[in-house]
Amino acid sequence: MKQFTKLAFAGVLAALTAGAAQAQELYTPNLAYRTGPFAATGIPLMNGQSDYMAMLNARDGGIGGVMVNAEECETGYSTEKGVECYEKTKGKAIVTQPWSTGITLQVLPKTNVDMIPILASGYGFSPMMDGKVFQWAYNTPAGYWDAADMIIQYLEGMESLDGKTIAFLHLDHPFGKEPLPVLEALAEEKGFTLNPIPVGLKEMQNQSAQWLQIRRMRPDYVVMWGWGAMNAGAITEAVKTKFPMENMLGVWWSGHDADLAIVGEAGKGYKSISWSFPNLDAPVMADIKKHVIDAGLSKTDETEMKGVFYSRGIIISAILAEGIRVAQAEYDVAEINAEQLRWGLENINMTEARIEELGLTGMVPPFATSCSNHTGHSGGWMLEWDGEKFVKVSEHLTANVAAYTELAQQNAKDYADANAPWPMAEGCEG
Amino acid sequence: MLYRTAGQYKTSYEADQALFPVRQDAVLLGIILLFVWVIFPLTASEFTFQTLLIPILIYSLAALGLNILTGYAGQLSLGTAAFMGVGAYACYKMITLMPWMNPIVAILLSGFFSAGVGVMFGIPSLRIKGFYLAIATLAAQFFLVWLFEKWAWLYNYNASGAIQVPNLDIFGLYVSGPQADSIVQYYVVLFIVSLLTWLCINLTRGNLGRTWKATRDMDIAAELIGINLMRSKLTAFAISSYVVGVAGALFVFMWRGAAEPNLFDIPLSFRILFIAIIGGLGSIMGNYLGAILIVGLPVVLNLLPETLGIPISSSMVEHLNIMIVGSLIVFFLIVEPHGLAQLWRLLREKLILWPFPY
Repeated sequence: MKQFTKLAFAGVLAALTAGAAQAQELYTPNLAYRTGPFAATGIPLMNGQSDYMAMLNARDGGIGGVMVNAEECETGYSTEKGVECYEKTKGKAIVTQPWSTGITLQVLPKTNVDMIPILASGYGFSPMMDGKVFQWAYNTPAGYWDAADMIIQYLEGMESLDGKTIAFLHLDHPFGKEPLPVLEALAEEKGFTLNPIPVGLKEMQNQSAQWLQIRRMRPDYVVMWGWGAMNAGAITEAVKTKFPMENMLGVWWSGHDADLAIVGEAGKGYKSISWSFPNLDAPVMADIKKHVIDAGLSKTDETEMKGVFYSRGIIISAILAEGIRVAQAEYDVAEINAEQLRWGLENINMTEARIEELGLTGMVPPFATSCSNHTGHSGGWMLEWDGEKFVKVSEHLTANVAAYTELAQQNAKDYADANAPWPMAEGCEG
Repeated sequence: MLYRTAGQYKTSYEADQALFPVRQDAVLLGIILLFVWVIFPLTASEFTFQTLLIPILIYSLAALGLNILTGYAGQLSLGTAAFMGVGAYACYKMITLMPWMNPIVAILLSGFFSAGVGVMFGIPSLRIKGFYLAIATLAAQFFLVWLFEKWAWLYNYNASGAIQVPNLDIFGLYVSGPQADSIVQYYVVLFIVSLLTWLCINLTRGNLGRTWKATRDMDIAAELIGINLMRSKLTAFAISSYVVGVAGALFVFMWRGAAEPNLFDIPLSFRILFIAIIGGLGSIMGNYLGAILIVGLPVVLNLLPETLGIPISSSMVEHLNIMIVGSLIVFFLIVEPHGLAQLWRLLREKLILWPFPY
């Protein structure tokens, strides 16, 4: 009993001191997934995110003089744990980063009521780009529909797609189905045949049936919307069936170095669109090395740091930090709240000059958000696996957003109608 | 001392057969009911509602449904999650087709759809049993999840293929969807779970329950004494699937708010089977104890290092959590292979004899 009282006392004391310590901080929790089936991709992303914030804390003493508390809550990519984490952190959080389509779908309507912005960089529901309807959700700097459009644009840049066949190998899950409306519209417009080939969640690692189908179909290109174990499965199958690698392209979540390192040289030519690039010479990398890695504050290792996903984590944190700075300048307070950050996130203007200034040279294309544009449509680059690492093989591509703006608005409206009463952003023009 | 039964005289058969022949049991139940109906809802935070109270109740109900089939009627099933899915999708379709419908009525009606599907997949149980039947129900699991994915009408042709729970109200009070307060949702869940639990307790004590138990213990003997095996097995499938279906509708409408087909996959079935086995097969209370252990314990363990001020990373906590919960399950099954309910039963018997055991 005495032991227990002691323990309880220690607990109370810890809670009290924690309460005192949180007086001045920006609490930006991250619903991380360092465990579970997708941990291989989660670890570099989370490391990139937390290392950038740790660097800001060490180098500048946080943002605007306030330390950032980028605490992680582990979900293991499970929706149930994700909701648990969301509930646990939402009290004092100024942002929530759900990190899975399932969690995003569930958290999306709740954030409207709880008034917390969601930062879902490059994932989630594509119609979230309509900021008038989804006033609390951000998939900055680019959405899945942008990715689909850019991939087709890149292919068209090489040859006309009229009469060609494209196999669309995708995860049979909300995430994989996401780009279909845009791809179907593009197929009609450009005259190519789109053959969707779904991969069930259970068959992710064994895609022999799908690749048999691809072999029979003889498509000109394979566009892949894969995630986690599905990517490695598809890439090894493609190598096994001797599919020409240069005709295989993936979305940004299908461009993980570790997946391609398995096949190495044989994977040469595989491409993936990306809105982030690992520029190891960027000043920010040197700062992270100096203030975080050498100080022993990081969990990352050397090879992982060179990868695409680690640098993507850095970019996501940089976007968040920029949103915080914009909000701090506007409201003239250092310790901003969730509502102020919402304004900040929709008034980001990442110009080329600003990117230089932040030390992110060549790591992300310039973009700007507004109250009606929550995606930013940064565009991206086509990256190619050269046998050892990903290299840029294209100029800066930008998506033809006007082509599907109407579709996005319609889908956003349908979503709002199905979830009525749904609050719209008032006074948001253009 | 506390559980002394001396002085409690029964003067009729009815009194002897009552639900609580020992007065202390009734008192204990009264205290528990006071806690769940009044004290918990008044003191709980949003977090407690969303991650402990509501899910534990819903999982208990799902396990209760499975327990009727497996624990009482002896028919092994691995398709629980799929039947939950039938309830959830049926509720979704009813609500979207008939928006004026009272959500509580819709939830209670959705169980009938899963009952129908359950009976259909229960028909093989007339010929096969044990592991073979488990495989037949596994087929239900695969088939139904596939159906939820492929039949676009079920999810109203949504682009994402997932179902979203709309805001539903009863007389202006939101009970479901993002606008609903947790406390309202909790009371709705508690009301339905209490109602079905009361129903199941009485069913299992009655005529039907006895035929189920006879079927479970030895079907040939049961048939010889005149029990209609077909009727016994199919009613078990129907009632079990009804309860599981209602639990599925609650799961999506009162808690999750959205669901993709994959949610109703095998891991969920196993989870509910574990709750039923660890809680104790053939016991109503066991479902609650099992759900508290399997659903509640990880949440509490997750919070522990933070409240004690121990600085470890959240992924480390998660790994520790899996190990601790896993070893606790093994420990409980070694100490009491008949489940937590049996553990309580033994404790109670000891308490009745205490302090003079023989």
